[in-house]
Amino acid sequence: MTELLQVKGLTKSFGSVHAVKSIDFSIQEGRCVALLGPNGAGKTTTIRMLTGLLAPTSGEVRFHSLARGEDHRSLIGYLPQTPAFHNGMSGMEYVVYSGRLCGLSASDARKRAMELLERVGLASAAKRRVGGYSGGMKQRLGLAQALVHHPKLLVMDEPVSALDPLGRREVLRLLQELKSETTVLFSTHVLHDAEELCDDVVIIRDGEVALQGSLAAIRNEHRRPVIELKLEDAPHAINWAQSFLQKSRTDELRYSWLSEAELQGNRLYMTASHMDVARQGLMEELTEHKVPFSRLEVGYSSLEDLFMKVVSG
Amino acid sequence: MNSASEAQYREQPAKRLRNAAIRRTGSSAFMTLLGKECLELLRSFKLVWVPIVFVVLGIMQPLLSYFMPVLIEKAGNMPEGTVIEMPPPVGSQVLADTLSQFGLMGLLILALAFMGIVSGERNSGASALVLVKPVSHTSYLLSKWVSMMILTWGSLLLGYAAAWYYTWLLIDFVDVGPFMLSYVLFGLWFTFVLTATLLFSTFLRSAAGAAFSSLGVAVLLSMLAGLMPKYMGWSPGALSGLAYQAVTSEVLLPLNSVSWWSIATAVIGIAVLLMGSVVLLKRAPAHD
Repeated sequence: MTELLQVKGLTKSFGSVHAVKSIDFSIQEGRCVALLGPNGAGKTTTIRMLTGLLAPTSGEVRFHSLARGEDHRSLIGYLPQTPAFHNGMSGMEYVVYSGRLCGLSASDARKRAMELLERVGLASAAKRRVGGYSGGMKQRLGLAQALVHHPKLLVMDEPVSALDPLGRREVLRLLQELKSETTVLFSTHVLHDAEELCDDVVIIRDGEVALQGSLAAIRNEHRRPVIELKLEDAPHAINWAQSFLQKSRTDELRYSWLSEAELQGNRLYMTASHMDVARQGLMEELTEHKVPFSRLEVGYSSLEDLFMKVVSG
Repeated sequence: MNSASEAQYREQPAKRLRNAAIRRTGSSAFMTLLGKECLELLRSFKLVWVPIVFVVLGIMQPLLSYFMPVLIEKAGNMPEGTVIEMPPPVGSQVLADTLSQFGLMGLLILALAFMGIVSGERNSGASALVLVKPVSHTSYLLSKWVSMMILTWGSLLLGYAAAWYYTWLLIDFVDVGPFMLSYVLFGLWFTFVLTATLLFSTFLRSAAGAAFSSLGVAVLLSMLAGLMPKYMGWSPGALSGLAYQAVTSEVLLPLNSVSWWSIATAVIGIAVLLMGSVVLLKRAPAHD
């Protein structure tokens, strides 16, 4: 697998606001990469720098197939969050126009436009003015115009966030197809979308990369056994829980199996470092103090938990 | 060493081919952009109503001059037996008046028609979709500028020719030489002001702001040139005055060096304004 592009030390400041602080990541050819992060994390800024719409304060985006400083826009297909078109043109005209701008000949552009509009399901609306399109149709037209020149990299900013469930499904299905044809990078704040489509994720928070890697590796590496203990509503139980928390913070040795504990109401959440030791240790603790509990559940942390932790931690 | 130079040798034609391809893409991208601009002018009916307004403005002046005595007579309110002596209108003067009409109303209409030409696309984000494609910022702006110029010079020619024809029919014949010279001078003045509109449209978010900033510049320049002809004769603001002179003079107006300067500064100013727009656009191709 070859590397398509590398982002090195990409930084953007708007006055005193540091939107993106020295981001590094690379994209392998043929992979589908999600740029994941909460709102305001710097996803859109990063994407706009990748597409060349925004000049970075420092750092660079380097495509390996191009010489340094060469225009990389011909390799990229870009779909912004809310694509805007020239509303007076018809869908067909717009895709042909996009193709012509990318250097296709008139007849090639026509052929390609026809093919793409068919593919994104706009063939019947091809002759209508873009101004009258619905949000979902605009998104699909945006996809068609982004793909017109067979880009090496398809970049999308929140491709499904603004759509209703039906439109979302449709665009996701298209993306599912597309990712086998080209390299895809998209930003999202919805973990579920990333999980569904992607091979790799780059999680960013406050303009910095918090975590990156292939989804499978991250899942394996960060999977932690979690124990949830639900206590009876007795003062004795709560007291025990509080002293247990205290102990878990101070007495590191004894609770070496425990990496984190948190009390929420009458539920105690514990993240264990070693499941077997943890089970044993907890059972001993519970019998020793005769803790009245109503439920004990052992499971594993989900990607959602990890995401929440990385993003808010 | 040998293989390296050989590789280099082999790379050369490939590179040349690619450069040629880029050049070809460049010019075809410009034509595509220009086609889109013209299509937009047509679909928004600017290509229809702006020339019509100019023709109407152009016809009005000779008609008014011709029928003025009748109009005053028919307006009533005159005591019985009033005799109004009016000097017969002179054709070249009527054309100069037409130009000054164009300079007010025509310029206002053109500035309003083009005020959102860049800012509109930038605010909506439509420019972002164009500028992520391998299109140079220069050809993006130049295509807009050329489309503006097509409409401007075309409308001005139609309106002015209509005025000339009606002046010929109703008043007297004005030579083609002075007519054409004044047309070119006035067109240059329009070009300067509308290039300023393009710059302000790239610079400001508000379309109305762009229209009125450029009209402000136009008013300021022509006022300065009018108030201090000695010191500001070289400025583009003097061009409109020069155009009136050109059409009212009997023979083809011999341009003196100050006049040439005002032409030169206008041309340089247009180039600088265009380059300034490109720089501004490069700095921020799209708003959010």
